[in-house]
Amino acid sequence: MFRHNTLRYTALVLLAAGALFQAFTAEYFGLEILTEILILAMLVLALDIVAGFGGMVSLCHGALMGVGAYAYAILSTKAGIAPPVAMAGSIALTGAAAWVIGAIGSRSHGIYFIMATLAFGQMAYSYVFEAPIFGGDDGLGGISRLDLSVIGVDLNDSRSFALFCLAILGAVYGASVLILRSGLGRSLTGVMHNEQRMRALGLTVWRVKADVFGLSGMIAGLAGALAAQHIMYISPGLLSWTVSGEALVVVILGGLGTLVGPLIGAAAFVVLKHELSSVTTYWHLVVGAILIAVVMSRANGIFGWIESRWGGVFDRRLADATRKQEPEEALNDA
Amino acid sequence: MAHDLGFWTLQALNALQLSMLLFLLSIGLTVIFGLMHFVNLAHGSLYALGAYFAASLAAVGGYWMGFFLAPVAVAGVGILLYSGLIKRMRKSGPMAQVLVTFGLIFVLLDLTRIFWGDLALAIDVPTLLGGRLTFLGVEYPTYRLFIIVLGLAIFGALAFVLSRTQIGAMIRAGVDNDAMAACLGINVERLFFIVFCVGCALAGLAGAVAAPLLSVTPDMGLQILIPTLIVIVIGGLGSLKGAIAGSLIYGFVQTFGAVLAPQLASVLIYALLAAVLVIKPEGLFPAKG
Repeated sequence: MFRHNTLRYTALVLLAAGALFQAFTAEYFGLEILTEILILAMLVLALDIVAGFGGMVSLCHGALMGVGAYAYAILSTKAGIAPPVAMAGSIALTGAAAWVIGAIGSRSHGIYFIMATLAFGQMAYSYVFEAPIFGGDDGLGGISRLDLSVIGVDLNDSRSFALFCLAILGAVYGASVLILRSGLGRSLTGVMHNEQRMRALGLTVWRVKADVFGLSGMIAGLAGALAAQHIMYISPGLLSWTVSGEALVVVILGGLGTLVGPLIGAAAFVVLKHELSSVTTYWHLVVGAILIAVVMSRANGIFGWIESRWGGVFDRRLADATRKQEPEEALNDA
Repeated sequence: MAHDLGFWTLQALNALQLSMLLFLLSIGLTVIFGLMHFVNLAHGSLYALGAYFAASLAAVGGYWMGFFLAPVAVAGVGILLYSGLIKRMRKSGPMAQVLVTFGLIFVLLDLTRIFWGDLALAIDVPTLLGGRLTFLGVEYPTYRLFIIVLGLAIFGALAFVLSRTQIGAMIRAGVDNDAMAACLGINVERLFFIVFCVGCALAGLAGAVAAPLLSVTPDMGLQILIPTLIVIVIGGLGSLKGAIAGSLIYGFVQTFGAVLAPQLASVLIYALLAAVLVIKPEGLFPAKG
């Protein structure tokens, strides 16, 4: 089960403080990057819930985010539905799609589950690419942001939008912790460690997997709806499998199954990407090399490494906890 | 659209040609997976490397030099990858392997961009295979027929090696139960190494033969990866029968889907894959019963 400890609280406070500092001091470009980080952070939280606590390594979360973005764009621009309702609708739709994927994929394990999710993601990608209503290769533009003028906030201002995304990310983090601490979340971790045992205890395994995958999909859909509002333009590239792959990379770089780690990973990834692409066009090379090094080092990402090295200094209980859960095991379970 | 016999023959030949290209790629990937339980997402990048080596060599010594030497060069890259990375990742779980090879895709993608640039390269069809042949009442480019024949020849050769020779028996034993095979005195590690190299060489060969048909671009490896994965998952991991069946299914569904139901064509193959995963999660012809 997911537990907070002193180190995780410290990291959360530092991250929130950093985000707030950036939100109030940065110029336009810095705010755009901050918003990009915050939206990616939501997506990787969704992925960490299923991959880190359920062993369901998904290669369709990028596509789910794209489904959320397209659902919001279609509902708000073509169907003329008010943005708040369109947002709720896109979250519900993405959640439902994810639930179905989770239910169908619940019989597959390991590499087969990865392939199954990849197939569903690609299915969504090619459908969006081909169907005329989605604008094909050209994408869709003219997407409006939520109107919060009732409470005196103009979301078309990038500072307000960044703060808005930060608030939502905080809520998403809280919800993720609640999900993982609920009976459902505990059952999920039980299923990850030993599916047969949980079945023998009378649990309907596929329902647990489908339910959590659906909830995770709702978070991805929310991230998608925000991404659509952020850039105000969407293209099928959002659903490409490489986006899902990058999300997985971020989770691994940050620390699988730590929730806090992927947040750090998201910040590190976006900053690294922007810094490197301003220096060289070959930033994929560096990111790829870092990924290979992190996975081969057998540490559980940046945060997992920090926890195993300094966690015990802060917290005695953690010193035992990290020893019990080797990252190697977490990777092999998946 | 003239739906006469010639039209169907032409489409069937197109489907067959696509199938054979995918077969060359998927056979290496699937046997590597079946034998080593290793998921090599970078297999598509090796195919792209094959195409680039072929293009460079063709510029120096003509098409056939590229055709014969590109697979050797790609196998050389495979040896480097094997001794540098893959040997150490053998005991890790599938997720770690997926991630390392995903990182490798990034690295190889940018390395090809650094060495060969972003612009697409093109190589000419060799003069020997340049024309058209009349085949079953239709005119068809000789080069595409050559790909079909090459694919069938490699299928035949692999089928013979796997079912009739001693090394084939050793590979089948390794796929079936590697621990038991090792107990019986088979050097399973060396077997893995050989199979890995042959798989890489076939990926390079696929790249070399595909180069004159498609333009050679850095992302051609990414584009072919998903079809290849679909082929091996539909066919079942680890078996020759699965690879050829999956390739034919993919080639025909894709080609005839594009002709008969253009709106549905791209979704069709993924729906088929989803159906296979639901009904037979291990694929149609898995290596293990």
